[in-house]
Formats: sequence, C-alpha cells, structure tokens
Amino acid sequence: MVLKFYASPFPVAGGGIVALALAEKQAAFDFVPIDLKTKEQKTAEYMALNPFGKVPAINDDGFVMYESRAICRYVDEKFAGQGTTLVPKGTKERALVEQAVSVESMTLFPPLDKVVWEVVVKPERGLAPDQAIVGKGLKEISDTLDVYEGILGKHRYLAGDDFTLADLVHCGYLPFLVEKGVDIMTAKERPNVARWWNELMSRPTWVKLQAEGMKSTV
Amino acid sequence: MAILKLYSSSVTACTRRTATVLHELKIPFELIEVDVLSGAHKTPEFLKFQPFGQVPYIDDDGFILYESRAICRYVAAKHPHSGLIPTDPKAIALFEQATSIELTNFEPSAGKAGLPFYLKKLGWRDDLEDVPANLEILDKKLDAYEVILSKQRYLAGDTLTLADLFHLPYAGFVSLGSDIMTRPNRPNVARWYNELVARPAWLAYQDGVKTTTEY
Repeated sequence: MVLKFYASPFPVAGGGIVALALAEKQAAFDFVPIDLKTKEQKTAEYMALNPFGKVPAINDDGFVMYESRAICRYVDEKFAGQGTTLVPKGTKERALVEQAVSVESMTLFPPLDKVVWEVVVKPERGLAPDQAIVGKGLKEISDTLDVYEGILGKHRYLAGDDFTLADLVHCGYLPFLVEKGVDIMTAKERPNVARWWNELMSRPTWVKLQAEGMKSTV
Repeated sequence: MAILKLYSSSVTACTRRTATVLHELKIPFELIEVDVLSGAHKTPEFLKFQPFGQVPYIDDDGFILYESRAICRYVAAKHPHSGLIPTDPKAIALFEQATSIELTNFEPSAGKAGLPFYLKKLGWRDDLEDVPANLEILDKKLDAYEVILSKQRYLAGDTLTLADLFHLPYAGFVSLGSDIMTRPNRPNVARWYNELVARPAWLAYQDGVKTTTEY
C-alpha cells in the first residue's frame, strides 16, 4: 500500500517540508488533506495518528509517524537509492548536518514561529499583530542570519557544499515572511544568505510544489 | 589521540545534556570552563569556533562541533553498540520522531518553565514570571506523553535512546519548582521520569559538569 501523507493542503510549514522531501526523493504517496479550519487535527480519529494533534503525519503501510523533520529523515532512508541524499552517511558529514538542523530548530525557529503567528495567523483571525513582538522576533532572526552569512561564505549550503536536510527545513516557515513583504532573506548586507535563499527558492522541486500544491502522485 | 574537549560553563543546561550522554557512553572528556557570566562565549576567539556565541562546543581531536543534540548524536554514532541510536530502519524513524517530539513539544515550555527555577537555584536570576503560563502548556503536552508512555517503556520504543536523555536537563529543572513530572494522574510519565533522573549519568553532574577521565 502506498504511503499516506496527512497534512493541510497548503504547501507550507511542516507539511510543506515533508512534501518537499517526498519530491526530492521522487517518492510515491497518497495525499490526505486535513482541514485545520475545522480543527480536524484535533479529532479523535486524527489524534489516533498523532497524539499531539498536529499535522503532518504519515501512515506507510501501517507504520505511523509524525513530526515533519523526523518524517523527512525516514523518507530519506526509505528511498535511499533515489533522488537527493538529504542526510549523508559519513559520521562527520552527518554530524555537521545535525548541527545545522539543530540551529534551525533551536535558534532560528522559535522567534520565526512567533513572528509568523503575529503577521500571518492573527490577521487571518481578524486580530492585529503585536508590533513589539514582531520587531523583537525579526531582530533575533536577523542576528541569526548574520551568523549564516559567515557560514555560507565558506560553503555553498549550510552543512557543506551539497543541499541537505539542513537547508530543506528552512523552506517551511521563512517563505511566510517573504510572502508578507519582509525582505529579510535577500537583504543586501548579507549577499551569501541571499544567494543561498535564491538557490533554495529556485529548486525545481520547490517551484513545482508551490505551483501545483499538495497532490497525490498516484 | 587527544581526549575530547568540552568547552562550556559547567552548569548550563545544554552542557548537562552533553555530559550526561558522554557519561552514559563512558567517553573520557576534559571540561574547559567558559565563563558565560562574564561573556566569554561572545568574544571573537570563541565565535571562531561557535559563531552563534552559545555553549557548549566540542573539539574531538581537531573536529569542532556545536549544538548539544548534534554532539550527542555524533558521540553515540561512534558507539553504535550502546543502542542510544537504533539501527533498524523503522526503529530509527521512531527514534527521530521521539527526538523531534522533545524539541517541539517539550523543550519550548519545559525550558521556559525549568530554566527560571534553575537560574534561581544557581543564584543567577530570580524571575519566575513566565513560569505559570509555560507549566500550563507543558501540562497539556504531558497528557500526550502519558498516552505514548502507556504503550511503551521509553519515548521511541521499549529501549532507552538519546530521545529520552535529551529531556533530562529541563525535566530535572522543572521539578525544582513543580511536581508536573510526577503527578498521580500520569503514572507512566512519572515512571519514565523517575527512571531517567535516577540514572548515574544524570546524578554525576548535579553540582556541575567536571572533567571525567575514568568511569
């Protein structure tokens, strides 16, 4: 039975990065949309898949798992013979990917999550963004990107010269900011970050995913 | 081959996490104290090794690595017999799910509740304002943990992995000021938590991480 992939229908956030990973691995899957507006992710039926009541989740012929970064790793291993290698096998190469993935989770994502909540989610609910939170969050993100500027001056991608999971995980939330007109990723003072970001956003898998949306391959 | 060098404060959370895993794996290491209270981790010399100005980082015979969870993964990968990272493909996936649970469903609220208790204990800062709201968030997350841990002994399955050990610093710190980890309505969380904090590797550095050359 083909892998079932449960997520919101929009190619963003955690579901978006899993969709991108599936595309990078040329993996077959059946997409099952979950309606966040009606809180389908909090129903007993869905929570049997993910007790935390969050999207995405997968059911691979009876093997159920959740957490987008973990699903990406599983997909990389399962389809190891095809597509892009998302996590290299060498001990040190892998360690450097884990280092960069950890920076995204622990340093970049927390303020980014807060800013996205203010500028994307609250307006959808008719609430005004708190500009103090937005300002503080953007400053933290900018400070982190200043460090990325140094790292990306030494090699093409975050963990070396190849695209890996470490780069892929950045495609979930940063595009929200770009869509809202925040040009933080292409600021002139950070030419290496801008170069890297433009490369990510012009990856054929990303372009196709944004153009066509979440679609079953079968 | 040179001894693994751990550059950090002896008491900070991520150093406790790293040292606990080094101890579990019986890896000798030298702690080189970084005086974070005086900003030693923000100097140009430090930033050359850890550009984000955070502790810890390691120097393993010339190989520099930072991010405590990445360090733990690296040393566990060098000791595959430990089982702290599984090798079976589905077990690995469930392990990755569990490590992701820790960082997205535990750390944000447990960190924001636990760190203030810990800093107060160290005498570094006394500000518990953010604690109640974060304990409330953590409380709901632990209900999901109870569901998971009622079916299996540890977070990734029936054997201990890094995913469980990653919880230690903040689970321990939260308990300095709250009984949230051991409430009777979540007997499986309590069972799992009590087992973790009784581990010698966690208890070894209660008064701070120190150079450990013999086990």
